[in-house]
Amino acid sequence: MSTAMNFSTKSFKARPPDKGAFPLDHFGECAAFKEQFLECLRESGSESSACRPRAMAYLQCRMERQLMANEPLEKLGFKDLIDEKPEAKPEKL
Amino acid sequence: MVGLSYAAVPLYRLYCQATGLGGTTSAGQGEERIESMRPVRERVVKVTFNADVHTSIQWNFRPQQTEIYVVPGETALAFYKAKNPTDKPIIGISTYNVVPFEAGQYFNKIQCFCFEEQRLNPQEEVDMPVFFYIDPEFAEDPKMAKVDLITLSYTFFEAKEGQKLPLPGYQ
Repeated sequence: MSTAMNFSTKSFKARPPDKGAFPLDHFGECAAFKEQFLECLRESGSESSACRPRAMAYLQCRMERQLMANEPLEKLGFKDLIDEKPEAKPEKL
Repeated sequence: MVGLSYAAVPLYRLYCQATGLGGTTSAGQGEERIESMRPVRERVVKVTFNADVHTSIQWNFRPQQTEIYVVPGETALAFYKAKNPTDKPIIGISTYNVVPFEAGQYFNKIQCFCFEEQRLNPQEEVDMPVFFYIDPEFAEDPKMAKVDLITLSYTFFEAKEGQKLPLPGYQ
């Protein structure tokens, strides 16, 4: 395990986010979507996969309100959620 | 551990921006990666969240979930919340840290609130999202085989015009 006093050449290299910073949602325009997402986490035992539809809804809210650059949802990792074919959700308990 | 966070701070000067929207050459590659990657469902990783504020900044800052279970190759969303309880606007800037540090190379933030100045007006409270993924190559790295917990820590500092953030031991 590395320690904070590691004198080797390795060090943690923080990287900036790929798409920069989210603008602040000063007026809480997407707060309801956030609440629904967090509620899903609470109900699913904090399982990210189960709550991806609501995560996607939150990001769509941001895009619709100019709080995030518009991106095709496939480029945000939601390709499977927007495909037209019927979806089974085997992870749901 | 605090020393590692401070070491990341000089990077904010390199990437500090007017536009706020990436523009680095890695952005295009990142998008292709995200679109083509597949979740590695057998490698569940617990991500926990820390929130710190440097003594210079009077924000209240905390994560909105204690943990989230993710798998490599699948994008994930998490939230922090910040409040300015004072009667003056405060501009903050944050950096982050990932432990174990060897996992940090696989931890990709698509978008968050770090490395750029964020201004909160008096009494203002905002949600601060982090949208990220663990690269699927994490699951193929033998050094990561026993890693099933990653902790993401953000620290906010106060940003003042022209002020240099403190870098103890690195001047």
